[in-house]
Amino acid sequence: MNRKEFGTHVSASYNQYLEDLFNQILEMGSLVERQLQASVVSLQNADYDLAREVIQLDKLVNREEMEIDRLCVRVLARHQPTASDLRLIVSSIRIAVDLERMGDEVVKIARLVLSLEARVDIDCQNLQGYKQLVEITSRACDMVKNVLDAFTRMDLSGAAAVIEEENRVDELFALAISGVTKNFKEDKHDVECLLQLVYALRAAERITDHASNIAESVVYLVNGQDMRNMDATALGKYLALMKEE
Amino acid sequence: MSNNTVKVAMDRDNRGLALSDEKMAIQVKDWNLYYGKSQALKNVTMDLPENRVTAFIGPSGCGKSTLLRCFNRMNDLIDIVSVDGKMLLHGQDMYAKELDVAEIRRRIGMVFQKPNPFPKSIYENVAYGLRLQGVNDKKTLDETVEWALKGAGLWNEAKDRLHENALGMSGGQQQRLCIARAIAIQPEVLLLDEPTSALDPISTLAIEELIFELKKDFTILIVTHNMQQAARVSDYTAFMYMGELVEYTDTDSLFTNPQVKRTEDYITGRYG
Repeated sequence: MNRKEFGTHVSASYNQYLEDLFNQILEMGSLVERQLQASVVSLQNADYDLAREVIQLDKLVNREEMEIDRLCVRVLARHQPTASDLRLIVSSIRIAVDLERMGDEVVKIARLVLSLEARVDIDCQNLQGYKQLVEITSRACDMVKNVLDAFTRMDLSGAAAVIEEENRVDELFALAISGVTKNFKEDKHDVECLLQLVYALRAAERITDHASNIAESVVYLVNGQDMRNMDATALGKYLALMKEE
Repeated sequence: MSNNTVKVAMDRDNRGLALSDEKMAIQVKDWNLYYGKSQALKNVTMDLPENRVTAFIGPSGCGKSTLLRCFNRMNDLIDIVSVDGKMLLHGQDMYAKELDVAEIRRRIGMVFQKPNPFPKSIYENVAYGLRLQGVNDKKTLDETVEWALKGAGLWNEAKDRLHENALGMSGGQQQRLCIARAIAIQPEVLLLDEPTSALDPISTLAIEELIFELKKDFTILIVTHNMQQAARVSDYTAFMYMGELVEYTDTDSLFTNPQVKRTEDYITGRYG
């Protein structure tokens, strides 16, 4: 199954509606990617203006979700899609929800950066866990890029790689949290700053969860397999199979 | 809800229907049909479950109506038709030489594309099959006519005009009358050959609703050109192409994740 097949319906308007939907998902995805790129740079350079841009962009992301809903409803009402067309609609609605939540989570990271603007006395960037925050956010950015790429190319092995990457990020997240916990115990750091750092870390990790959800939606789109709630063994086997395809 | 209930629910991966769980009404094995030298059905093998609605879809000329007509031996009426293979109704060979064809047609009723009531009263249309069987007791006839008209969702509209000519009814009512006529003799299987293609959307929905109700008592096989209709009314769907059964599975699976590309192309309206 490839994307071109969605353009081979007898009905030209149907082809156009589905093409519009594909494009809209990619547009929304690219906005979230932009938010993530900006948040990485703002974290690295304490760039407050960029952090504000991340928050502004979120309004656009929210609007995109509504537009995707509208396009899905239009196809459902006019063409009663079936099979892969129907799976495209279901996947698109799910992907739009994940992207919208990613947008919300990036805003939490941006808020950490902005909270530092007023507290120049705090050397937050050298706290344990901050480095990992930059690393997880940067990886989240790559995962979003890769999962959108997998969506465009309907590429199962690309989707599998994103799901595996999410498992590696979980390990990094655990490491970061243990670092922050040490900071708390040392009792010499600003508690508010530490809390913001925990929130931001959690947000970055959630973004990678959403990227993994999108990868699962790609799998469902391509072959109809619902991977949610698969246990670790079944998931491992399935990922290995997908990589071969 | 106890923990145990939750566990049971979680253990069920697939909550949909499965042919393997069904009791079968009709079994078809290696079924071939020829119009002269031209083969119209090719090695069709399938089991049709009892008290379920099975839809047959496919492009014009794919053989779905031809196959449907085999189920009550309507094709016997065409001289050039020859068949081979096995077709069993509850285990009984439907094409056995000693079998009375009229008996098969009593057990397997049929409703056609265009409503075809007899130019008689509503009552006589429904009572017709019973009278043919020699039933003339008024009480039995009255009760059966009422039961069949209720079963066909027509009683409220027809009860005060039972002795008016059926041809005065609307197309949708006429088609429901034909269904009442078919079920009055209590067949085991009901064949519907594009039963709503001549009806408006509201009459169509009334028939579809009726199909849903009727499957409690009858096994229903429906041929339809309207794929949404197949998706709405059937439990199982068979996709046919050029005389072959291409894919046959539960309707949910066929319309969400067909396994054969030709099925996918057809139901999504692609060139293929």
